[in-house]
Amino acid sequence: MAAAMGLRLLSFSRRALRTPRPSSLPARRGYQGGSPADSRKDLLEIPLPPWQERPSEPLQAKRARLLYESRKRGMLENCLLLSLFAKENLNSMTERQLNLYDRLINEPSNDWDIYYWATEAKPTPEVFENDVMVMLKEFTKNKNKEQRLRQPDLEYLFELSR
Amino acid sequence: MAASAGAASRGLAKRLFRPPAGAWPAACQALARNFHFTVYGKKNASAKVSDSISTQYPVVDHEFDAVVVGAGGAGLRAAFGLSEAGFNTACVTKLFPTRSHTVAAQGGINAALGNMEEDNWRWHFYDTVKGSDWLGDQDAIHYMTEEAPAAVVELENYGMPFSRTEEGKIYQRAFGGQSLQFGKGGQAHRCCCVADRTGHSLLHTLYGRSLRYDTSYFVEYFALDLLMENGECRGVIALCIEDGSIHRLRAKNTVIATGGYGRTFFSCTSAHTSTGDGTAMVTRAGLPCQDLEFVQFHPTGSPRGVKMIKWVLLSLGEEKTRRDSLTRTVGHLVTPCLQGVGIFLVLLGVSSLTPPDFQQLKHSSLGCASPVFSLQIIWSGCFRNGCFYIEGILQRPVFQPATHVSFYIRGCGPEKDHVYLQLHHLPPQQLAMRLPGISETAMIFAGVDVTKEPIPVLPTVHYNMGGIPTNYKGQVITHVNGKDQVVPGLYACGEAASASVHGANRLGANSLLDLVVFGRACALSIAESCKPGEPVPSIKPNAGEESVANLDKLRFANGNIRTSELRLNMQKTMQSHAAVFRTGSVLQEGCEKLSHIYRDLDDLKTFDRGIVWNTDLVETLELQNLMLCAMQTIYGAEARKESRGAHAREDYKVRVDEYDFSKPIQGQQKRPFEEHWRKHTLSFVDVKTGKVTLRYRPVIDKTLNEEDCATVPPAIRSY
Repeated sequence: MAAAMGLRLLSFSRRALRTPRPSSLPARRGYQGGSPADSRKDLLEIPLPPWQERPSEPLQAKRARLLYESRKRGMLENCLLLSLFAKENLNSMTERQLNLYDRLINEPSNDWDIYYWATEAKPTPEVFENDVMVMLKEFTKNKNKEQRLRQPDLEYLFELSR
Repeated sequence: MAASAGAASRGLAKRLFRPPAGAWPAACQALARNFHFTVYGKKNASAKVSDSISTQYPVVDHEFDAVVVGAGGAGLRAAFGLSEAGFNTACVTKLFPTRSHTVAAQGGINAALGNMEEDNWRWHFYDTVKGSDWLGDQDAIHYMTEEAPAAVVELENYGMPFSRTEEGKIYQRAFGGQSLQFGKGGQAHRCCCVADRTGHSLLHTLYGRSLRYDTSYFVEYFALDLLMENGECRGVIALCIEDGSIHRLRAKNTVIATGGYGRTFFSCTSAHTSTGDGTAMVTRAGLPCQDLEFVQFHPTGSPRGVKMIKWVLLSLGEEKTRRDSLTRTVGHLVTPCLQGVGIFLVLLGVSSLTPPDFQQLKHSSLGCASPVFSLQIIWSGCFRNGCFYIEGILQRPVFQPATHVSFYIRGCGPEKDHVYLQLHHLPPQQLAMRLPGISETAMIFAGVDVTKEPIPVLPTVHYNMGGIPTNYKGQVITHVNGKDQVVPGLYACGEAASASVHGANRLGANSLLDLVVFGRACALSIAESCKPGEPVPSIKPNAGEESVANLDKLRFANGNIRTSELRLNMQKTMQSHAAVFRTGSVLQEGCEKLSHIYRDLDDLKTFDRGIVWNTDLVETLELQNLMLCAMQTIYGAEARKESRGAHAREDYKVRVDEYDFSKPIQGQQKRPFEEHWRKHTLSFVDVKTGKVTLRYRPVIDKTLNEEDCATVPPAIRSY
């Protein structure tokens, strides 16, 4: 398994060397290497079953499910971000917000996309632009400069109820 | 029996395309029999969150031709291959398939297609054997490297959009450790990728395709144990996380593809789902696991694993002997923008290191993972305020944007387990422009503003070379009376298995190849030995009862130690005692500590008494699995008294083979099996007591076809 996680590389074209990017433009991230652009043929030709909302799911079960699904992700960055986000916000989200969050973390097939949208490395698709996404983006900025190096222990769920 | 891998698989492939003669899937998909297991567990109602506290566990029985545990790259490839061959296949996974850890793989798949330059799979074979430090089984490596081009082309035909060159051929790029002409011809370009999302594309393609063949997916089901009877594997028992029901999936063939167990260490790059579930299931079934002490450490990550920057600096003052350590971190991406950028690595508490040691390093030329790149590094160091500052500049930009360099540094002091990477001496605009990724990740995860403060970095676990021992066909083996013996009905592939192609060290981009080739091999082996619709062997009516009893015990556990606390203790012990550089006394201390921690598993305390989406319970089950893997890792490391590949011992710095390969073999006395270390470790754990038993099995040196591909005789590994 290649070890390209975590370091976003700037592709270095000659033009970039001569005219440095203005700081307002977000730097292009994502490994570019020397390969041509992504044709995304697999995503277009092999559609996966669409995400389905669960309208009859009890709220408590929905929260518990989203907690599990926030903690178990495809890569470490999302595991940390989403589990901490869930700790802070899951219990206070309304049903509508929970459904939006459900769609956000379960519909995209590439976990990296969620990370890129949250860190604003790539623009968020319209369908996911909602208040939950705004919350996630704010959370990602880490304005309080906390150390987010471990998933939260689950005890917080039970401390609330005491 | 010595048929070449190519001919064998071509023969198998032919069989797949012939319609099965009159075979109809006899077993129906789900024989649901509501069978109430009454397990009288402890009814402790102190937790308030969940509302259903029941000790009734409804069990649903299913029958399939094959069950695959795990839906990552290897699991999906096996499930897809089996479904395509007409088998009624089930895939049990605790995650949605496209969320398996394979999605994190952004690199690529190595295959000697020869699109960028003339290439030969035998050169790839040589590189892999050498990379494994001659601990890899050469028949499996032969199989993998010979099948690689066919496997990649096959994936392409299934719809994976590999990146292309202008002529329309699959684009291949360089990756560390890959060479031409048996190491003498320069850097090879073998890595095929799908832009930067090879792992994701692999999962998406295979998952999508397998659905068209009616594979039954049991998503968010946690596989608890194997159903073994008379030494044969007859299926798995799994917990449905959604509703707490127990499912017994009986099948003639079970494939384990559950991934690695990076989470046993404090600092690892794997997702929180890499908990060695399959490896532990096999251990609980009384079967051995192989080479678990070989854990690949990534150069530098922030504490607890988020990778900040891929730098590995040479261990101070030990450049000559530490060359081996360079190969430990093969294939890491470095951006051209890091060239010419000066960085400071701050080592705290290294007051004993004198400037002359440092001068020795000053004009060293480092060979990195690839034999070709030699890098001149100009060092200067100064010592002030109790800290040693090393300034390094990557000198010659010999690399194309896609190539890699790594150099290695040792942490400082026993307690200070990390070093600081200082970047704030660089102008902020330069940092933002040239190293945006680091600035961002540092802020998001460490709350560190790189323009003001240094980032803590330390080696992190990246990959597990060891796992469930299999032969080159993917069949799980055990070693009885000096011979390998196949365990009927059980197969393993991917990071969970040890075929063993990676041996003592894995080369970059070989891991995705491993997943694909051995996932396919498992499907082919099963297709070779069984037909769809064959009668599924029966199991005892109470098969799996122990697993449910364990589940119940954990659900109502009310001891003194929280799951999170125990897990942290285990991780810290592993990180401080069985990390990159290992010493005998430290390992022994670690073994004792870990055994103590293992016994604490009986004193666990869980909080969630419910059964619906009980994350606490799942994480506790995962902890049990991690613990078994950790025990085998540290005991295996303590016993192995040599340094080989990723296993580096400070007190035994040399590789101990049957001959001393640094001198001509003529006239040397061959060391007996018990006295050398070129052998696989097979570890068993007695689950009740935590006692680890170690046995050894010889490395397979003979390839599948000696005329086609000659064995590479062991030599001293130097890059």
